[in-house]
Amino acid sequence: MVPIGGEMEFRTIGIVGGGLMGRSIARELAADGRDAIVLELSEARVRECREALEADLDLELQKWGITETDKRIALRRIRFVASVEELSEVDLVIESIPDLMESKRRVMRELDGVLPKDRVIITNTETLSISEIGQASGRPDKVVGMHFLYPVAQTELVEVVRGIDTSDETFGVARHFADLLGKTIIEVFEYPGYVTTRAIVPLLNEAMYIVMEGVARAEDVDLALRHGFEMRVGPLEYADTIGLDRLMASMDHLFHELGEMKYRPCPLLRKLVRAGRLGKKSGRGFFVYDGDGNRVESGGGAR
Amino acid sequence: MKYQLIETSAEQIESDSDRMLARGAVTRIGTSSAQHVYCPEEGKKSSAVAEILEHQEAIQVILRALTSKESGVLSDASGIGAVGHRVVHGGEKFSQSVLMDREVVEEIEDCTELAPLHNPHNLRGYQAARRILPHAPHAAVFDTAFHQTMPPHAYLYGLPYVLYKRHGIRRYGFHGTSHRYVSWRSRVLLSKPREKTRLISCHLGNGASIAAIDRGRSLDTSMGFTPLEGLLMGTRCGDIDPSLIFFTMHKEGLVEYQMTALLNKHSGLFGVSGLSNDMAELLEEEKTGHERAHLAIEIFCYRVKKYIAAYMGVLGGVHAIIFTGGIGENAPSIRERCIRGLQFAGVGLDHQLNEQCVGREMDLSPGSATAKVLVIPTNEELIIARDTFRLVEDLS
Repeated sequence: MVPIGGEMEFRTIGIVGGGLMGRSIARELAADGRDAIVLELSEARVRECREALEADLDLELQKWGITETDKRIALRRIRFVASVEELSEVDLVIESIPDLMESKRRVMRELDGVLPKDRVIITNTETLSISEIGQASGRPDKVVGMHFLYPVAQTELVEVVRGIDTSDETFGVARHFADLLGKTIIEVFEYPGYVTTRAIVPLLNEAMYIVMEGVARAEDVDLALRHGFEMRVGPLEYADTIGLDRLMASMDHLFHELGEMKYRPCPLLRKLVRAGRLGKKSGRGFFVYDGDGNRVESGGGAR
Repeated sequence: MKYQLIETSAEQIESDSDRMLARGAVTRIGTSSAQHVYCPEEGKKSSAVAEILEHQEAIQVILRALTSKESGVLSDASGIGAVGHRVVHGGEKFSQSVLMDREVVEEIEDCTELAPLHNPHNLRGYQAARRILPHAPHAAVFDTAFHQTMPPHAYLYGLPYVLYKRHGIRRYGFHGTSHRYVSWRSRVLLSKPREKTRLISCHLGNGASIAAIDRGRSLDTSMGFTPLEGLLMGTRCGDIDPSLIFFTMHKEGLVEYQMTALLNKHSGLFGVSGLSNDMAELLEEEKTGHERAHLAIEIFCYRVKKYIAAYMGVLGGVHAIIFTGGIGENAPSIRERCIRGLQFAGVGLDHQLNEQCVGREMDLSPGSATAKVLVIPTNEELIIARDTFRLVEDLS
């Protein structure tokens, strides 16, 4: 970190995981004039993620959100690597791999091996315990959670999550960093689901029950909530966007942690996941999608 | 960060003999490959690439160049008597240049909402310069100040009046320092006193605006609440029907930031031609028969002409139409196309003179014309230097 005038400057940020969320964060950083180094598991994944990034940028270009120049700058500022040593000199690390405790803890241990002791690690998690993840990092006071909502670029809100050991200073770093990204912050204390996941999941679940019970078609459920409550995206398409397997995993987690029936995944959700209909990423979930993730008319969606 | 070092005094302003000692620019601040181009009045232009992470470092790099043994023009930094800063938005607070103190800085910060990209940037430059040159007076020269003389019927939109009161929603206009410079130069060129001139100033660059200037005062200008309104520009759309914004967002499934980028970065000459935002390039392509390059240029010139004719009405006749900015100074054929058909109003252009005039100050009209066509390369830095000097004089 380069302190200038008492302020922290994040010039180069390490990102662990080049999936949808990791790439999205990297693009935000690049657009803000920062460099991002994205760590992936293998050279093959590095290539895949880089191609996926180009596809993301092309899509955004088609939507007029960026220019050709912006695209070139992003491709120059975002670097994909397959070795954790490459992150040894970054100012800050954001971990953004799938929400599995064992994988998160393994990443923390690896990072601890290469990062100077004063570096803050932000863990991007929806449901897991920051305190437990932090324990594996050798610096639990320097670990803080951040829950970005998808799509990162278009969603202004970030939940900044304090674990039991997270220091005020570390929390301040996370707050400052979110500020730089132009995000609105809410401070939450570690508890399963925080605010956003806990509040939205029962809504998504209920929408699925409505479809399963044959009350209305998926199409109409989304239409009702979009127009009736001024939502940008209907709950079922939102579930498809998150990924139905991911959604089911976070619901199972909430159900397990909190023991309340309202978090039990709807049987229709389980059925779709078992059938491999995982939402936008597999081309089919409650609705059908083309390769760019745009809805294709399919006569009402799943039932 | 662009800069010029200018030597000036009351006598030099009177005799118009201010001297530009050096000029230059630092680009890509905040990266390890920032570039400093430095060009002393006498001597060779040089260019250096280095890591320059913030404004303060950039100013130190500039000062080192200005005072260096080999190519410097000052023995030390104390030779700098005052610093003038360009500030984009002065809102309704500032109708002229001011010396900067804590209060002024706070008032400029208050205008940030109106220019979220530019004002904070301008203030960072000021704060860095103040830290390095704490004893020199610093002045702010606003892009909007010149247009503060517009009457309410020109600056108000046909929106609920309360929006103006609540949020300052009105026309502000930009390029003020440039319009002011060329209107002063044109009076010199025409040997006419301020009280007897009605001018239309066309600043045509990658951003473009027109101003109607009556006796040295701006009466109306084509840019509005932001620099997006008015003429077709390099990548900005200029005037459109506001309903198009919602219609397009709906049809293309866009969100706000995408729509903003569409209007500011994907439109204008670039958007229409599908080729480039560079007028010189489009003129070349037009010659080879590129249809949309032709179309983009036609829209551009048509809009300019429409505004010129409108401002003739606003002013009740015009003594001179001035062309400035990259396109206005360097593209004879564009000038010719912008005023084609305005002969009925006494506008005269000598085609031979027009063809010859690239990047220099000239009257392009035959003697018979009642409305002259002038080319005046703009010089905002000179205005900034003189304003700063005058403010410092008042101080002492």
